[in-house]
Amino acid sequence: MAKQVVLLVGTKKGLYTVRSDADRKKWTQDGPYSAPAPIHHATYDPRDGSMYAAINSTWGGSRIDYSRDMGKTWEKSKNPAFPEGSDRTFFQTWHIEPGHVKTPNVVWAGTEPAALWKSEDRGQTWQLNKALDDQPSRAKWVPGFGGMGLHSIAIDADDPKKMQVGISVGGVYTSTDTGASWVQDNAQTGGKEDRPDVFYCIHKLLAHPKTSGVRFMRVHVDVFWREPGETAWRNRTEGLPSTFGFAAAMHPRERSVAYVIPLDDTKRTASPPGIGVYSTNDRGATWTRNDKGLPPGAALESVREGMDTDLLDPLGVYFGTANGDVWASRDEGKSWEAAARYLPYVTSVHAATIEG
Amino acid sequence: MRVLLHGAYRGFAGGARDVTLDAATLREALAELVREHPSLAERMRDEHGRLRAHLSLFVNQEDSRFLGGEDAALSDGDIVHVIPALSGG
Repeated sequence: MAKQVVLLVGTKKGLYTVRSDADRKKWTQDGPYSAPAPIHHATYDPRDGSMYAAINSTWGGSRIDYSRDMGKTWEKSKNPAFPEGSDRTFFQTWHIEPGHVKTPNVVWAGTEPAALWKSEDRGQTWQLNKALDDQPSRAKWVPGFGGMGLHSIAIDADDPKKMQVGISVGGVYTSTDTGASWVQDNAQTGGKEDRPDVFYCIHKLLAHPKTSGVRFMRVHVDVFWREPGETAWRNRTEGLPSTFGFAAAMHPRERSVAYVIPLDDTKRTASPPGIGVYSTNDRGATWTRNDKGLPPGAALESVREGMDTDLLDPLGVYFGTANGDVWASRDEGKSWEAAARYLPYVTSVHAATIEG
Repeated sequence: MRVLLHGAYRGFAGGARDVTLDAATLREALAELVREHPSLAERMRDEHGRLRAHLSLFVNQEDSRFLGGEDAALSDGDIVHVIPALSGG
């Protein structure tokens, strides 16, 4: 059966779907679903075809919706709920992560206030990860500019017991027992600044989906790579035009390839030199700017969940911008075409590769 | 007495607009409303039972905040309005 790509595009006013066949030359769009609610993140679960969306609504509170029919209809999950007596209240969801293929009913979510939640029933109900919540170091977590959220849930390619979470601003925590216990994991090596750990404002942490132990991390300051067996984050910022940015992606097959969209350290947009996707083929040792087809010099920005890849060959890479555009590359990030224009502010892009 | 659901709250209740029920206070009316439409529970209150922000409750023409909040007394013929509050500028 022919493959197609469905982009789940979260915006500040609803969820859009942008679809194409495997050629990825013509795109059609549907939506918005749940406008005017902001959608921090939406994702597709290739294990069972479910879709999940973080509906962060002002009216009626935030919620996580799921669809079992490719977005035709949606159901509301039972909200994440902090336990009785907690001084915190579930405010909104920042990220939803399907579990490992070996744990078919498990889905994870990260929220604001920063907390990790596990669903064992395909997203219908959510349980607080108490081990992370009980970390004494939680007292030192503070809000970043966008709030205090847990936004990265990196599950190892081979072993679902091994996982990491990234918190803004709280750093990285690693578990080797499916979240039953956690240790802080922020040691860094290399880079210009002589500091022993990474800046704790994690912007995006990714686990390579095929190669166990490979990680790529975009932090408020600098980007980092980690190879299997390493215990420190290797600074890989040299070659990028700035130290700042949000959007990041890894090649789903090539274990040494990743993508970032650097933003100016102070303006927080991509100018100068303008919007561009930087790729590495050598685990961040060198970076190549890719901007063919993108508006020259444009002061655009792409945020934390703004970039993703499909699973096709050659690889499709996608990113959304704050001015409401979605850009697509069907040649592994080398050149770009618009897949959607004039949407609301794009907060997330997730590329689902599906059959039929 | 009747409860009228407005705006997004109709959607949260599966499209229901007008619910007739018996209640002596606003708190009882909301509890009864949730019994009839359980999907409203999380949309009206957070996990600690607090009414959500951006939710306005009126009894007839009066804002319930000026009638004692959830302790506001209700009588036969009263109409409770559940309204998503306009905000944001």
